[in-house]
Amino acid sequence: MKTLNWMLRREFWEHKGSLFWAPVVVAAILLFITAASAGYGMLAHNVNVETMVNGRQVHITSFREMPAVMQQGVAQVAANSYLAAAAPLFFMMAFTVFFYCLSALYDERRDRSVLFWKSLPMSDQMTVLSKVLTAAVVAPVITMVTALVMSLALLLIMGAYLAFNGVNLFGLLLATPALYLAPLFLIGILPVYVLWALPTIGWLLMVSSWAKSKVFLWAIGVPLIALVIVKWVDFLITGNQGMNAGLTYFAKEVVNRGLGGLVPGIWFAFSDHTVTMRPGEHGVELGTVFMQSWHTLAAPGVWIGAAVGVAMIFVAIRMRRWRDEG
Amino acid sequence: MSAVMSARGLTKRYGKSLALDGVDFDIPAGRIVGLIGPNGSGKTTTLKAALGLIPFEGSLTVLGHDPRTERDALMQDVCFIADVAILPRWLKVGDAIDFVAGVHPRFDRKKAERYLAITKLKPEMKVASMSKGMIVQLHLALVMAIDAKLLVLDEPTLGLDIMYRKQFYQNLLEDYFDENKTIVITTHQVEEVEHILTDLMFIREGRIVLAATMDEVGERYTEVMVAADKIAAANGLNPIDQRTVFGKSVMLFDGVARSQLATLGETRNPSVADLFVATMKGSYA
Repeated sequence: MKTLNWMLRREFWEHKGSLFWAPVVVAAILLFITAASAGYGMLAHNVNVETMVNGRQVHITSFREMPAVMQQGVAQVAANSYLAAAAPLFFMMAFTVFFYCLSALYDERRDRSVLFWKSLPMSDQMTVLSKVLTAAVVAPVITMVTALVMSLALLLIMGAYLAFNGVNLFGLLLATPALYLAPLFLIGILPVYVLWALPTIGWLLMVSSWAKSKVFLWAIGVPLIALVIVKWVDFLITGNQGMNAGLTYFAKEVVNRGLGGLVPGIWFAFSDHTVTMRPGEHGVELGTVFMQSWHTLAAPGVWIGAAVGVAMIFVAIRMRRWRDEG
Repeated sequence: MSAVMSARGLTKRYGKSLALDGVDFDIPAGRIVGLIGPNGSGKTTTLKAALGLIPFEGSLTVLGHDPRTERDALMQDVCFIADVAILPRWLKVGDAIDFVAGVHPRFDRKKAERYLAITKLKPEMKVASMSKGMIVQLHLALVMAIDAKLLVLDEPTLGLDIMYRKQFYQNLLEDYFDENKTIVITTHQVEEVEHILTDLMFIREGRIVLAATMDEVGERYTEVMVAADKIAAANGLNPIDQRTVFGKSVMLFDGVARSQLATLGETRNPSVADLFVATMKGSYA
């Protein structure tokens, strides 16, 4: 356990830039832009100008005239979907973790530092496990915490801006349970994310442990070429009759799950459920997203994918054990 | 005392070529063994097999473990420097110490810090910004602070200047080695290790051609500066090597009594380097 803890720290030291600084910097930029716009808005208000919004003449101070029910609605929407502002962070995470996995077992072979790690009492299972945990848990948790801090700060800026314009929503916001539930729902989705990410993590780690060079080309090229071949076979079998054996559909499904698993929310692409978006009412409720995410685990596909992912992780462990560094 | 490392019929093939051809050897505890051979002779392959880094045929036990199946147990008691400059570039000196202290139960943090105190290394320095010599100093500080039963060094001083090399072997002998430890070294720079070795193993084309203690080597081999009028007589004793230094013939004999050789001229112990060259004659032919 202690060893694993140190190995996770090692991964963090090595990838501090992409795991920690990247989300923090992007969050800071988003915050800065928002704060600057709000600040500009306040200054503009000071000068008290009329402005055009959607071709309609609106007076900046019109927030004051907002009826109480509408204020309630705004607070509800904000509390429900303030975390949505952090969506860019989660998409960036999908990219950084993708490349993290690709380099996880390749870079140490390329710079031969694998020989240093192997001179210490750390098993290959433990090493690969530390990399899986970093990709599946550490990176998402860091992103979630950053997202939460950033979203709360955005909410604060928005609230301050409204307050400055005479509408104080803080009381209403703080009284909305959704505000406090949102982080819990977010963390609650993590197990679903891990299960959906396993096939991708397994595939990338396996390529990373095996490829002699050009890991990216192997990781992307093999599935694409496989897809083309399957399409061709599919055509040979059924093309003449204008029927489809479903092979192509099946292969696409496999490839999409294998390469896209790191994208948060990818599970909605594979299920019949769609997120109920009711912009008029309360925004996207994270509670609904949470429920529907867990619902996708009812389909067998995700479990098969996770099992295949685990199998590929085992292949990566074997590969690291016996790979000769020349 | 059972052998620290024991090989029987150790064989390794890379495709069609035979890197190790049924090697047998035993390394007892408390020795410093030099595994010496020309490029491509199988030195590194032997060490890799012993460290469980590659599969092989035949039998090989290291500290009672089979490196193929019990590598994780083996690594509790073995440490190695596989090559210089393999520390990852992003590693900081301070983090490296914390990390090894965290994962290795036999690591003595104080000892490592004592080694580092006499270098220019600072905890905040990254490997990427260090010279090759400094990287080796760090690696050495880490490894020498590990109380391992077996230390394997594969070309530990490759590419280092003479100052670092001298210091390296001095530290190894003075601060690290004791009767409970065993060190196996491969190197090209035979002259620098010969005075610290207790045992010698020459390997050539995947076979052990000489395995002896330094004392045995001293008894077996004699170098004679043969007087001009005794050359015919000397040739009759089948020298294994012959060269000319300042017009005088210097011959190397294997297993000829020193008293007998003394009649031919001035005798002395050959250097390991000369012995090596004589043994490996024709390796590159």
